[in-house]
Amino acid sequence: MNARIRATFADAGVRGWLHAVALDAPESTVDIDADTVVPMASVYKLPLLVGFCRLVDEGELDPRERLTLDPSTRTPGPTGVSLMADPVTMSLRDLAVSMMAVSDNAAADALLDVVGLDRLAELLQSFGLQQTWVRRGTAANLVDLQRRTGMDDPDAALAVLADNNRTTPTGVYEAANASATTPSDMTLLLRRLWTGELLSAAQTDFAKATMRRQIFQHRLASGFPHDSIRVAGKTGTFGALRHEVGVVTLPAGDAYAVAVFTLTARSDWRQPRADATIGLAAQLAVNLLR
Amino acid sequence: MLTERHLQIFVALAEEQHFGDAARVVGITQPPLSQGLRRLEALVGAKLFERGSTGVELTAAGAALLPFARRALTSIEELHQAAVARDPEGPEIRLGLAPEVPPAAGAAVAAACGAAVPGSRVTVVSAPTSSLTSQVSSGRLTLAVVLHPTVLDGLDAGPVQLLPTWALAPSGSAADAVVELKKLGGLPVAVRPRAEAPAARDLFLDTLAMLRPAGGTVVVTDERAALAMAAAGQAIVMTADPSLAAPGVERYQLAGDPLPTRLRLVWARTPFELDVIAQLTDALVTG
Repeated sequence: MNARIRATFADAGVRGWLHAVALDAPESTVDIDADTVVPMASVYKLPLLVGFCRLVDEGELDPRERLTLDPSTRTPGPTGVSLMADPVTMSLRDLAVSMMAVSDNAAADALLDVVGLDRLAELLQSFGLQQTWVRRGTAANLVDLQRRTGMDDPDAALAVLADNNRTTPTGVYEAANASATTPSDMTLLLRRLWTGELLSAAQTDFAKATMRRQIFQHRLASGFPHDSIRVAGKTGTFGALRHEVGVVTLPAGDAYAVAVFTLTARSDWRQPRADATIGLAAQLAVNLLR
Repeated sequence: MLTERHLQIFVALAEEQHFGDAARVVGITQPPLSQGLRRLEALVGAKLFERGSTGVELTAAGAALLPFARRALTSIEELHQAAVARDPEGPEIRLGLAPEVPPAAGAAVAAACGAAVPGSRVTVVSAPTSSLTSQVSSGRLTLAVVLHPTVLDGLDAGPVQLLPTWALAPSGSAADAVVELKKLGGLPVAVRPRAEAPAARDLFLDTLAMLRPAGGTVVVTDERAALAMAAAGQAIVMTADPSLAAPGVERYQLAGDPLPTRLRLVWARTPFELDVIAQLTDALVTG
């Protein structure tokens, strides 16, 4: 029956990778090339959140510790602290909320600096994620893109990716060059997070609540157009990459971890059909598992 | 006679357990799939599937024969690959052309292929972009010229080339030879079926709708039908073919060339050196 999901991706003009699993019955899954390593864009903020929460559990980090993000040094982006004209002082846990609720690049890079790439890599190993590598944050990602496009500012570099009349430079969407994961690794992380295996009860609740606060409804949630279905997710967007991973909880309480990663054929910054296809594919997958 | 298609139907039905899904995998519609299955069952003298309540299920005979069908399909694929690898008459270059490639440009690319690899035999097929990319992926085609943007899924691709694209409309549709797209109102624009290249077609339709709010579109099977409809005063044709013409149909240049035909070469395993790819790409735009 996976052919229907594949046809949905093809009809929307996207290459799609998907993994879906019922939280209480992990043996039955829906798998569309779910072990392929794909560049994860802002989905990296989810493993970063879980890593941060683990360090809070271990007493390594104080969630109330305050950081000041200065406009001259913080990472640019379309949302959150990235937009602010003046220095912003926030606690680490509020940075985590902004990072997850609106995919705040400045907050995420600040939190990544605090957690550290090496420490995060060790945590992801301990979570059982064998195919997930957070290699760098958003700032470093933009520097890499500028190098590949030969542009000296991030907006101009992103404009190259958004132009249907230009050829995307090689390597931009190579998993090996970026933070990367597999759909099945992300559903494993979500399942272990949701069942409370990774964090204390308090941090598990914080992580779940933070994911439910995500404002974006155009991808995963668009496939479940009913308020009694709860969707907690994290999107990822970079050029033609459009992803969302999350947990869908139905009114009866049965819940499903779903990871949908896509690469669109078109370059346009705004692609509502591709966004909605993520929801449609997730809905088809969940229905297969019910 | 047992054919490769029969084997594809057998394996697809066994995997998908659904007639519609299996037909989609094989790339045909449901009636020929059912017909193919009946022929196959007659040829092997056994019923291979039962229609159950939830879908299609293998019979005991079907389950016993399935591994042989899989093996036979693998062997056919190996035959194709071996034929490509060591051809006594020199390499065969199988080139695919999307229907949007102007005839002269397609001919120039084919000629450049022959010139680039001395002793080669060039065969050419025309097929929609979505079919070409899957044929290149499976190794049936060496390379193809396809519409951009399209899902490439691991294929290598040359640079995106923009071909200027004109409007052919009934004579007298506009006063000047260069015209704003918006001024060319009234008649629907002829477009080929969306499924042939969903991403490229959506980009075309979205751009058209942005620049020309009224007039709509009409789906046509090919450029021949589109031109005939223009001659009959029923449609506007968008074409990158500089020579397409018919009595009663006038050629208009669109101001700013807002709907260029975007083409690129795709291939699965590097068939040529990169400088040859550059030559073929040049042939595409200058041909």
